Amino acid sequence: MFRKFYLLYGALVLSTAAFGQYRGWSLDTINQLKNVPKSVRDNPGSYRAVYGGYHHYTGGK
Amino acid sequence: MSAGIPPLSGLPKPQAKALNCPKCGAAITLHSFGQAVTVVCGSCHTILDAKDPKLAILQQFEATTHEVKPLIPLGTRGKLAGTDYEAIGFQRRSTKVDGIAYCWHEYVLFNPYKGTRYLSEYNGHWNDISICKTLPTAEFDGAATANYLGETYKHFQSADASTDFVLGEFPWQVRVGEQAAVTDYVHPPRVLSSEKLDKEVTWSIGEYMYGREIWDAFKLPGAPPEAMGVYENQPSPVAINVTGIWVAFAAFTVFLLALMAGFDMHAKKEPVLHETFQLNRADARGEASFVTDVFELTGHAATVEVKTSAPVDNHWIYLNYALINQDTGQAWDFGREVSYYHGYDSDGSWSEGKQTDAVVIPSVPPGHYYLRIEPEADPLLPGLLYSVEVTHDVPVFGIYGIAFVALLVPAVIISFRAYTFERSRWSESDHPPMELSNMSSSSGDSE
Repeated sequence: MFRKFYLLYGALVLSTAAFGQYRGWSLDTINQLKNVPKSVRDNPGSYRAVYGGYHHYTGGK
Repeated sequence: MSAGIPPLSGLPKPQAKALNCPKCGAAITLHSFGQAVTVVCGSCHTILDAKDPKLAILQQFEATTHEVKPLIPLGTRGKLAGTDYEAIGFQRRSTKVDGIAYCWHEYVLFNPYKGTRYLSEYNGHWNDISICKTLPTAEFDGAATANYLGETYKHFQSADASTDFVLGEFPWQVRVGEQAAVTDYVHPPRVLSSEKLDKEVTWSIGEYMYGREIWDAFKLPGAPPEAMGVYENQPSPVAINVTGIWVAFAAFTVFLLALMAGFDMHAKKEPVLHETFQLNRADARGEASFVTDVFELTGHAATVEVKTSAPVDNHWIYLNYALINQDTGQAWDFGREVSYYHGYDSDGSWSEGKQTDAVVIPSVPPGHYYLRIEPEADPLLPGLLYSVEVTHDVPVFGIYGIAFVALLVPAVIISFRAYTFERSRWSESDHPPMELSNMSSSSGDSE
């Protein structure tokens, strides 16, 4: 009984992995935006980056 | 049911002779026709010779504890293995291990055409028992294994069992206080038992039954007592699957590796942009954003890897990226830091960070794209050259790692459950698992 379930489960895991790879899934989380104006290409400064003002690491150990 | 044998329930109730206990005068009914060898008076607990027309007294016993009430009342009829049986006898037996008494109950079942079979019950665990049709082979009493009908049974336990309480009819000379050497061999869900009384050895074969099955078979009211612990021949809910699960896991892993190799071979890994940029100190203070040339992504939606390399040395740079589709205005916004620090202190040399960074953007549809880059940098950083590489359709190996873990976890859980179940089973045997026997021996040493 469980073996059948595991076989189905394993097939599902493999299918998901294959589908994800084909569809280009990634483990990185990227913020997605829509309708960025075309003017950005001519005036890059008009775009406000989501991650602007990031507090940076300023020293080692 | 065998052809031509009417069910017991269809027969008239056996008519017993009008017998009375010679000790107390209580009425005694014999249900097993002439097959009973001894019968116990339910009133005064006198064991009588059922073969003697005058019911000669064989033994009288005092119930050492209070009278035991059978869970299956004597006279109850039920169907086991397709045959109707009637409960005609009941006994409580016990064994002592390390000074602790363990009690179980046995029921004698009777069918006038099929004869007798037995039920045993211990802590809610039941066994359907019958006498072996052929002689099992075991090299000696308590041998490691015994064979019966082509199956190998592992030795579980040897102990002396005594009879404490009897009631009803028995097809043998039953006596309270009688002691027999009992040896159990298991091959779940079956148990092979030898019972040695004087020089006579009786072999029986039992098959595990759940309380609910007994209750259904005898149509008993209420619910059966809950089974406690793991019994010697209780079938493991998972053990039969463990090997198969690992075989399946191995097969899935091979498939996964094949998938990984296949996708890696077929991934385009197409470099679509590789540019080097100069970071000036002025960039760190003012507006420094710029855009790259437009590049085209073709085919189906796929990953895009953006790799940044900067020869920073005890400094950092931070790049605000936006991958923008020129045609649709869809954008992926992300920030990446490249920092590398190293030094030497009382613990020795140390280093942190890397001079490269890579990020994979998921499921980017085909189209014309450019990158908007807005660099920031450590104000102390002198100008440097950094490069940005964009590669289309790269494999993400982390997905295979997650899939591998997803396949592994259920197999490990099942194996662990099977292991703990078997460990519980054998901890009650003469062959406890190694760590348990070590624990008991070390605790014995310390006493």
